[in-house]
Parts: sequence; C-alpha cells; structure tokens
Amino acid sequence: MISIPRKGTPEYDRLVREHEACMKSMKGVAGCSVLMCKTPGDTTEISGGIHEDLLLNRVLLRMRTLPAKNKLVVICTKLEKEWRIGRLSGIRGVPPVFVDDRTFDDEQMVQHAIFLMRLDEMAETDGMPEHFHEGWKRRNDNWTAT
Amino acid sequence: MMRLTGYADKFGVHPGDTIRFYVNCDGPKAYKAEVVQMINGDTNPRGPGFIEKAVSASINGEYTGRKQVIHSGSYGYVTDKPALRVQSFTLQCWIWPTTPKTHPKYWKHGPQGLLTKWSPADGGYGLFINEAGCPELRVNGKTLTTGAPLRDHAWHFLAATYDAKTGEAILYQEPQLTYALDPEIPPAKAVLSEKISQSAIPFVIAGYVGKADGGPLAASSLPKGVEIAGKYNGKIDSPRVCNRALSRLEIETMKLGGQTGMDERRGSGPTPKLSECLVAAWDFGVGINTLTCTDKGPYLFHASLVNCPTRAMTGYNWSGHNFDWKHAPAEYGAIHFHDDDVDDARWDADVVWEVPKDLKSACYALKLTTPDDDEDYIPFFVVPQVGQETAKIAVMIPTISYMAYANEHLANNAGGAELLVYRVPIMQHQNMFLSEHREYGGSIYDTHTDGSGLCLSSRLRPILSIRPKYDHFLSQSPWQYPADLHLIYWLEVNGYKYDVITDEDVNYDGLARLQNYNVVITGSHPEHNSGPQLDALHNYTQQGGRLMYMGADGWYWVHSYHPGYDHLGRGIVTEMRRCESGIRTWRADPGEYYHQSTGELGGMWRYRGRYLHTVAGTGMSSEGFDISTYYSRTPESNDPRVSWAFEGIEQDAKLGNFGLVGGGAAGTELDIVDTMLGSPPHTLVVATSAGRHTEGYLLVMEDYGFNQQGLDGTQHPRVRSDIAYHETPNGGACFAFSSIAFCGSLPWNNGDPAKNNISRLVKNVLDRFMADGPLPPPPKDSFIHRGRADYDPPGNKVSNVRG
Repeated sequence: MISIPRKGTPEYDRLVREHEACMKSMKGVAGCSVLMCKTPGDTTEISGGIHEDLLLNRVLLRMRTLPAKNKLVVICTKLEKEWRIGRLSGIRGVPPVFVDDRTFDDEQMVQHAIFLMRLDEMAETDGMPEHFHEGWKRRNDNWTAT
Repeated sequence: MMRLTGYADKFGVHPGDTIRFYVNCDGPKAYKAEVVQMINGDTNPRGPGFIEKAVSASINGEYTGRKQVIHSGSYGYVTDKPALRVQSFTLQCWIWPTTPKTHPKYWKHGPQGLLTKWSPADGGYGLFINEAGCPELRVNGKTLTTGAPLRDHAWHFLAATYDAKTGEAILYQEPQLTYALDPEIPPAKAVLSEKISQSAIPFVIAGYVGKADGGPLAASSLPKGVEIAGKYNGKIDSPRVCNRALSRLEIETMKLGGQTGMDERRGSGPTPKLSECLVAAWDFGVGINTLTCTDKGPYLFHASLVNCPTRAMTGYNWSGHNFDWKHAPAEYGAIHFHDDDVDDARWDADVVWEVPKDLKSACYALKLTTPDDDEDYIPFFVVPQVGQETAKIAVMIPTISYMAYANEHLANNAGGAELLVYRVPIMQHQNMFLSEHREYGGSIYDTHTDGSGLCLSSRLRPILSIRPKYDHFLSQSPWQYPADLHLIYWLEVNGYKYDVITDEDVNYDGLARLQNYNVVITGSHPEHNSGPQLDALHNYTQQGGRLMYMGADGWYWVHSYHPGYDHLGRGIVTEMRRCESGIRTWRADPGEYYHQSTGELGGMWRYRGRYLHTVAGTGMSSEGFDISTYYSRTPESNDPRVSWAFEGIEQDAKLGNFGLVGGGAAGTELDIVDTMLGSPPHTLVVATSAGRHTEGYLLVMEDYGFNQQGLDGTQHPRVRSDIAYHETPNGGACFAFSSIAFCGSLPWNNGDPAKNNISRLVKNVLDRFMADGPLPPPPKDSFIHRGRADYDPPGNKVSNVRG
C-alpha cells in the first residue's frame, strides 16, 4: 500500500500541482475527473492526471474509500453558482455539516480544496497495520465500497 | 431546507381523468400552484437552460399551506379487542434484530416495540428492546429486563410471562446462536404486582403506540390519528399471545403456534390446554404477497401491515434447502420491519384537477412556489387512452426506473460511492433535505437505516429525485427524469409530435399500449422492468414496431408491482431484489431472492434467461461516472441496410464530443453488441466509443468470473458503447444508442441537426422509423445464414513474430 505524501516533499508538491491543473481544465464539463483536458472544458482529448501519475492515482483511490463518518463532501448551496464543503455524519438521519465558511463558484475547485484537506488529514500510514482497530473485523475498515 | 414538497396520486393521467396532488407546506401560510409543461429541466449554462411552458388550468392559483408529515417505519396492528385486554399473559416470538442498540444521534434512537399493547400515557403490556439493546418486559410503568444486550443479525427466542395473581414476571432470552465466550442468560424474574391498565389502543407488532391521539399530523398515520413510536428494525417470526403465564415447557410447545391438526376436536392448539389460553398466533409465512398477517389462533386477529415491510424473508428455521418461499412457506415465517419503510405518505389532497379532455399528451408538472423562493415541482404525464393515440411517436417514460432511484441517499450514506463516481460527490438541496428526513424513504439503491437492502419503492410519497433542476451525484448532471427531458426538449425544438406513455401503462396494457405507434422511444436509462413490459416490447418489434433505445443499462433488473396496492391505482409499489450478480449496491441474503409481490425469481433478467441484448440489440457492458467521450463510425455504418442513418455525417466525424452529461455522448453506463448474449446475429455496429474511456469505467461483474487486472476503460475492449441497428420482422427495427449520456448531447447547439451530429443521427433514424407502413426491405443479399459464435477470429498480427 502506498503512503500518503507529506507536505514539503517533492511528491506532495507534484500531486497538488497536477490535481489543480486537472481541475482547472475540467471547468465547464458536466462531470469531472482528475484528468487534463487538452482544450479546457472539452473532454475530446484527455491525458495526464490519474492516467499518468500512479501516485496521484493511488492517493485519490485511498481518499475515495475513506469511511463515511466525517468524510468530506461537496454541497451545492446555490444552483449552478455556489458550492461549499461539508462533512458526512456517518449516522443515518443526521445531515452533513459545513466545515468552514468558504464558498466556491465552480464545481471543480472545491474538489481541489478537498484534496488538499485530505492530504493534511490522512496519516502517512493510513490503512496500514499501525492503524488496525476493531472495525476492521466488522466491515468498518478503510475500504468502503457500495 | 425544502419547505414545500408534494406528490400526485398518479404518474400518468388520461385526458378527462382526475389527478390529485398532495402538498406539504411547512412554514409558509400559502403557496402558489401552477400547471406547467416541462421542456428542459437542466440548468447547465452550456445548454438551452431551464424551460417550462405555462399551462392555463382551472387549478392554477393560491392555496393555504399546511404541514403534512410521513409516518415511516413498518409495523402490524390489530385494533383493540376484548380478548387482547389480558391481565395475565405470555408473549413470545423469535427475533433477528438489526439495530438493537442505536447511536444516541440516530434518527429514531430509543426503545423498540416488538409485541405491545402499551403506550406511555395509557400503560398496558408489551415486549420491547430497550434503549440499551436488551429485551424488556413492560407492565404499565414497570419494566423487567435481562440486562443482556441482544446480538445484532442473529436469531433469539424471547418470551415474557406475567401472572396477575402473584405479580410475578419472567423474561426469557435464548439465543439460537451461541459462541464460546457468551455469558449465560438466566431468565429474569421480578414481582411487579401491577394491574394492567386497559385502554382502546391497538395491539402493535414492531412498534408501540406513542400517542393515541396524535393530533392533525397523525391524520396520515394508521390507524388514523394514532401515532406509532418505537419502530423496530429487524425480523420477527412466529409471535404468540396467551392470556396466562405459561411454564417454560408450555412456552416451548406454544412455539408450534395455532395447530388444529394436533387436537382431534380441532382446537386452536397446539394442545387442548393451550387452546384455552391462546389469544393469537400469527403465521407470517401465510399471505406473503399481501399486507395481512394471518392469525391462526381462535380469534382470527389478522394484523394489518403498514408501510410494507419486507416479506418472503428466511425465518429462524430456514434450512438452506429451499430457496423459493412458495415451496417452503413454513421456513419463511419472518417479516423484516424497518423504521424507514414507507408505502404511502397518506396525505390529504390539496389540489384536485380534472385534466381537460383536449390537453395534449406531454410531460407536465404542478409547480409550487412561495414569494420566499420556496419551490417544488410534482411531475406527471398526460397519457392518451389506448386507441386514442395522437401521434406516431410514443416516448416511454421509464417510471419503474424512476421509482427504483426514488430519493436515493448514496452520496450521503455510502462512503464508497465516491469510488464509483471518481470524484467527491456533490449533494443538492434535495439530498440535504433527504439526509435529515429519512421518513421520505429511500431508493432501491439504498440500504435501509438498519443497513439491510431496500427492495420496495412506493410512488405515493414526494420523490425529490424526480425533479427538474436536479443534478444527480452519480453524473454531476441530470439523471433519469431531468435527463429524459433532454430528449423531450429535442423533440419539441425539432417540431415532432409525440405522445408520452409510462412503464406502468405498458405493464398493464401490454401490446395494445404500443401497437398503434410507428415508433417507441425509450428514456435514457430504462434499467428496471417488469416481465409484462418486456413481453409487450418484444411483441411490438416482432410485429413491425420500431424501437429507439436512447440509453444504456436497460432491461436489467426484474421488477414486479405489489398486488396489495392494486386498489390504489397502477404501479404503486415496485419490488426488486439484488441477487446473484449484476452491479449491486447491496446484495440479498441467501434464500431471499424471490419476490414477495409475485413469487417470481428476482435479480437480473439475464439470470432468468432473458438477455438484455434481446430487447433492442445491445446490453450493459460497463459503467463509470467521471466524464464521457465520443463515438467514431465503423465500416458497418456504410452498409446499405443502415447508411441512411448517416446522411449528412462525415465518415470521420467525432460523434458527440460534446454534451450535458459528462461532456460527451458516450458515458456513464454503456451497452455493447454481444451475439452470445442475445444480440441478433445480423446486428450492425455503426459507431463505437472503444478505447476512449477513463480508468473510472469498469467492466460489469457479470461478464467475468475472476476479479483481475485490466477491467477498466483504458484497457478492456468491452468497456465501450456500441451504437447498433438491426431489423425485426415485418418491417420493424431497433436502433440502440447504448449510452446513458447520449441524450445529454441532444440539446447541444439548441438541438440543431446542422450543428450537432448526434441530433442529425437521431433525426435521420426517427424520420425513417416514424414513417407509416413497414420499413423498406433490406437488400436481398443481406438475407444469409448467421450463427451466434460463427466467426473466424483474425488472430493476433504476426508481423512482429520472428521466424
């Protein structure tokens, strides 16, 4: 299992740079992937991102499989205009809560903001034996799948 | 937060018939209601924008607002009867609790009722699970518990006795499953010395009476006005009530229940002595396709089920030898109750409309607004009577699929949904509302609040996913209803005259619903279908009908309508079970594959021998939800059988490298031709998206036996969409566009065929398919013998092989 890169390392910087560039290129697409559109907002030709940077690919997979409790999520607060970051409760019937006051004016850059938050929040050894807990036996391991 | 929500009593209404709208207006004193025709529901600024047309209607106007609530959670009840007003008693049952103990913030945290005739105000008696997750006997305000927490997802036998003369109560907790380090659980005993308070409250299974007079908001509860609390999550099997305290041996015998065959004089049983004290012995294995729990005791206290709990569930005695409840009903004596089950919001109607006889068939909605920017839309469809069709084109609105996706919670509940969509999910305000209002029920994609699979969906509740201006987290764009409006917009802007019909019309009317149309057009994702609907489609194309399959992942899951709701209209509650394979957000437990509604085997049509590819020529191969791509024409597109479809389209055109779903026409879920899975061997693949999909796209699991590397869109050749054509007998044909995102490209450049090659392609096909009479016959040399696997593979290129 790969480690989550730490701030201040070249790997961290590379991942952040690539992720941000991909998100900027996806602006306008009715959808989103961490890939680079040759023509911004147009998915005809795509490259880079998760298809070419294995570490970025693996780090994103690990982030996506985090358990629902406290997981970051995007909340659309004004249709087509405004998005914010929330955190899932992991409890049925308890809605997500906003994590901060930041607002985003597109669907893509909020994805990047969450990427940065997760890099900070996840342990370098996330999911490795030193993080074993009882939940691993009760379907609450670090690989949430539908 | 949404203060306006509503639903109608029908999806499809005939001109001249009446449709009722039920509205919850939580806060504002009044709201405005207006009928509108829906043209485009997508607010994406790259498209034509949201479009609705005002409709002059007698009901347009202002209405007084009132709050209406949903009392979700399933239970059974018997209204008060003298024989249920016991002084001494024995209550016993098997239970398989799923959430015996809940988180303090859980939406229905607290005690759960099992067998009760008890309320906080009136007292009474009952068997409960207390807040700590332990069995508990209640006699008025006094309680007795074993203090031993119940293991979740395991069977336990519980019995509680109370002797009014001695005041002694005993509570037995006997796990069916024990492990080496489990503590012993001795029977709990206490002297309670209570005279049971008797009142007119009902006897409740899987809940208890919260308030006998729940006020106006309890008007939507059953029994009307009575608020039921303590909804239980889990299975109950073989509940019994006796009117004296039985010995442990008698309790054991009473497990047999109402057994008239064990007594020559046909007493209720199981023994003559026990016949004398038996009050009720329900057998949930009887009447599984009904909403009644049959009482085999002497009083016939058949209980009414509310909110449609799941039946045909394996009981405590399921042997693993029978998998179909019809063949072993005695092993299917369990009902699984859920605290978020909902079959009918049961609201009072606020707006009632007799649809004018001359109103054209189209997609409509009742638009609800307030001056404070509150807004909701209640979509409905005006469907002509059979025989009174008004167009050559029918758009078949996939209402069963809408119901399957109704009020889905995946973005909120399923942490792993992010792995599926390959980005962080975006929640709309509808998702936020539903995340707090679990009483609105979930979709068949969700798990219940107790984590078990949700297999029943009702349309008699506000369904906030069937709304315009709603982007689904899966695609970050319209999905299902609003995505199908992309097609409606395109038909409108290109001047086509069309009728709309719904899945349920086809299900109930069969071929008659289709056969007067020259062409039937599907929605973008007709995934969920009943058998009668598929029969009708096959019969239609066999007889010369033309089918345009505008999406993908169609004809996938087996659905049936629950017969217990037939008296309320067509297609009220649909059932689907996720069985041995297929892309599944949950998986049915062993032995629970057969529908309670019809007794038919659930799961994928593929595993019923009804391959998806037989319906329109292509079937599901893969899915991914990040971004879409485009198609290229194949050489087969030049075959004279089909070349007419590409008039005005260059050979090397990038077909659909634009769109409002993922940015391209080939995306989200994809279908391909496979003659080994039912595609007719003469099917032509006219365009394909092979090799262009992202890593987020994966081959469906029913297509491989081993999980292995190489299954994603950057690698696997089956991860693609094939646009395909084949002729059917008698001048019929099918055109399969094979991608859910496909319709999202139709509105691009305002749907102008001169500026949008997807629009051009669809227009070419529709113009030909809608013409009267059989299609022109294919060239004579196209009539040749073709096998299914009859093909000589070219093999690998050998140019690089040495020697």
